[in-house]
Amino acid sequence: MRRFLGMLLFAMFGPVALVLLSYGLYWVVALVEHFTSGHGLPPTYGAAIANVLLLMAGVVMTTAALLTVGERKWSAMIQNRIGPNRIKVFGTSVGGIFFLIADALKMLTKENIEPSQRSRLMYELAPMAAFAPSFVLFAVVPVGPSVDIAVGTAVHKVALQVASIDAGLLFVFGAASLAVYGTALAGWSSNSKLAILGGVRASSQMISYEVSLGLALVGSMMAYQSLRLEEMVQAQGQLLWGFLPALGVFLQPVGMLVFFASSFAETKRAPFDLPEGESEIVGYFVEYPGMKFGMMFLAEFIEVVVLAGITAAIFFGGWHPILFEQTLKDTFGEASVAWAAICAGAFLCKVLLLCWLQLVIRWTLPRFRFDQVQKLCWKMMLPIALGNVFVSGALILLDGSLHLLAAVGLVELVAMVLLTAAASKKGEVPAPAHAAAHAAPGH
Amino acid sequence: MPYRLDDTAADLRERLYFPEVIRGVGILMKQFLRNFFFGREKNPDMLARDRSLSQNATLQYPEERVPYPPGYRGLHRLVPREDGRPRCVACYMCATICPAQCIYIEAGELPDDPIEKYPTKFVIDELRCVVCGFCVEACPKDAIRMDSGEHAPPSYTRAAQIWDEKRLLRGPPVSYQYDPWLRRGASSIPAEKLAEMKANAKPFSTVATDEYAQTPGFSVKNLAAEAKARGETLARK
Ligand code: SF4
Ligand code: SF4
Repeated sequence: MRRFLGMLLFAMFGPVALVLLSYGLYWVVALVEHFTSGHGLPPTYGAAIANVLLLMAGVVMTTAALLTVGERKWSAMIQNRIGPNRIKVFGTSVGGIFFLIADALKMLTKENIEPSQRSRLMYELAPMAAFAPSFVLFAVVPVGPSVDIAVGTAVHKVALQVASIDAGLLFVFGAASLAVYGTALAGWSSNSKLAILGGVRASSQMISYEVSLGLALVGSMMAYQSLRLEEMVQAQGQLLWGFLPALGVFLQPVGMLVFFASSFAETKRAPFDLPEGESEIVGYFVEYPGMKFGMMFLAEFIEVVVLAGITAAIFFGGWHPILFEQTLKDTFGEASVAWAAICAGAFLCKVLLLCWLQLVIRWTLPRFRFDQVQKLCWKMMLPIALGNVFVSGALILLDGSLHLLAAVGLVELVAMVLLTAAASKKGEVPAPAHAAAHAAPGH
Repeated sequence: MPYRLDDTAADLRERLYFPEVIRGVGILMKQFLRNFFFGREKNPDMLARDRSLSQNATLQYPEERVPYPPGYRGLHRLVPREDGRPRCVACYMCATICPAQCIYIEAGELPDDPIEKYPTKFVIDELRCVVCGFCVEACPKDAIRMDSGEHAPPSYTRAAQIWDEKRLLRGPPVSYQYDPWLRRGASSIPAEKLAEMKANAKPFSTVATDEYAQTPGFSVKNLAAEAKARGETLARK
């Protein structure tokens, strides 16, 4: 009972903490901007630097690092275990947080063993090439709305977004496809058969899924008529028929499924962890010791966070809190920092939930065989994504107000729910006679 | 829990793939939430756990231990008499039957006791023991038992796994009404102690039951704790 109440409090105050955090972020960005513009620099410089440091190095890095422990802990809960809890400070393990420090120490102090026949430059470059692109993706993700903050007499326009560029989604595709260089280079340059096998698998898998990843979002681009993520988020605030927010998940359920699945393949995590395949080839990073391996490992988790961010922005309303949106807006006022902080907090909540969902899926599914991975991509995802583009295009052409698109999307969602619920109960579970005999006392 | 594997072809719904994935994710989410919100039942007796809320099946081993079932063949002990001497009469039956040949006995003489013979050395090499329990079965005097409810504790040296009579002789004493030192008396036992021992003695059982082979509630761990409380240290080299 104590645990139940504790966890309930945790689940309730988690979002509040995120809102407070966002409030702090807004103010820090505003102050930095104030400082730099006071020194004669263009006003956006300070905000950009502060955003890079806070959002990318702060929020994304911290979340990804925490996810490495979170994954172990959450998978333990899924599998009826406890998970890491042996490192204790003052007698408490606080959800295994201290394993983070232990892991980092281990990675940093490991012996640096390198293959003698490696291609030196490429070998050193590969971890960075794997790490950077996934990181840079977050630059276009709008964490919070832009709001005017007055510091002293000067008023600064502050948005929790690193870069607002016209190319938006195209930048996402471009940067995402750069990630393949890291894995391919790592596989090739370490001059090991297993590593190059992993590298080749990674390249072919990522290049395949790039296609459906891009196509899955075409429907959303057409619906919101923009490539900028912040404009897409803004467009999702409008209400259809006066009650239904125009979320991407209602307008483009098929696109969302395909995008989510493809992004899974992009993160190279189970069920698409063929490049790693630790039971068969050990993967493209076999020859990397210590922190170089750590960077590739962390790159996966960063990709999880970043793709959760992009999914949240395009399909789940971005920073719109959705629940009680109008009430909150009326209470705090649309131009206030508090309202912006609530929005950013809502976005961070969505990102965390989606990260959690990705981990749950990762622990649900066993790994595909490599031909199955390719078949799923080329024979299933690609046609579905293409069909989705044509159908959505036609629906938007017929009814520019998105109502028709939303109606079809809802029908698709309902069909999905019905299909999922229609599971046949075949194969009854036999009485556990054997297990009962084992369980009998004295056995 | 065992599931029957049906080798039927997947129907259309299953081949659509996504519905089944969503269903699987739903099952895992349920499992996550119930283990997230509800704490682990800490009962070390796993089968008696209430798993209706949290299904966590972990046992934190060194701190929590599953109680061994009755009949579990644990670490040996030499059963003491109530006057502290071992019941063993150094008949070598256990050493003879032991398939691992890990029991070593040297016999000595007791001038003041009707049993006359006792082990001056009784050594069991727990590293060689295959825990077959033959020694217990072979003993005509119920002098060696494996009812400690503990396995041999780990050690850093091999020498610590060689248990001699000083370490083996422990646990609650046992006497039977037919024991010679009770029927004939022993000059080493005072008369009133003898009367007390006679009163405590068990009748000889004709059927082997757990109750006769085991001493409920006895454990080496408790013994060690008691010994520690008395200020003794177990002979560990
Ligand atoms: S249990 Fe078996 S192997 Fe071990 S001492 Fe007894 S007879 Fe020998
Ligand atoms: S323990 Fe039993 S079998 Fe072994 S020597 Fe002693 S009396 Fe004989």
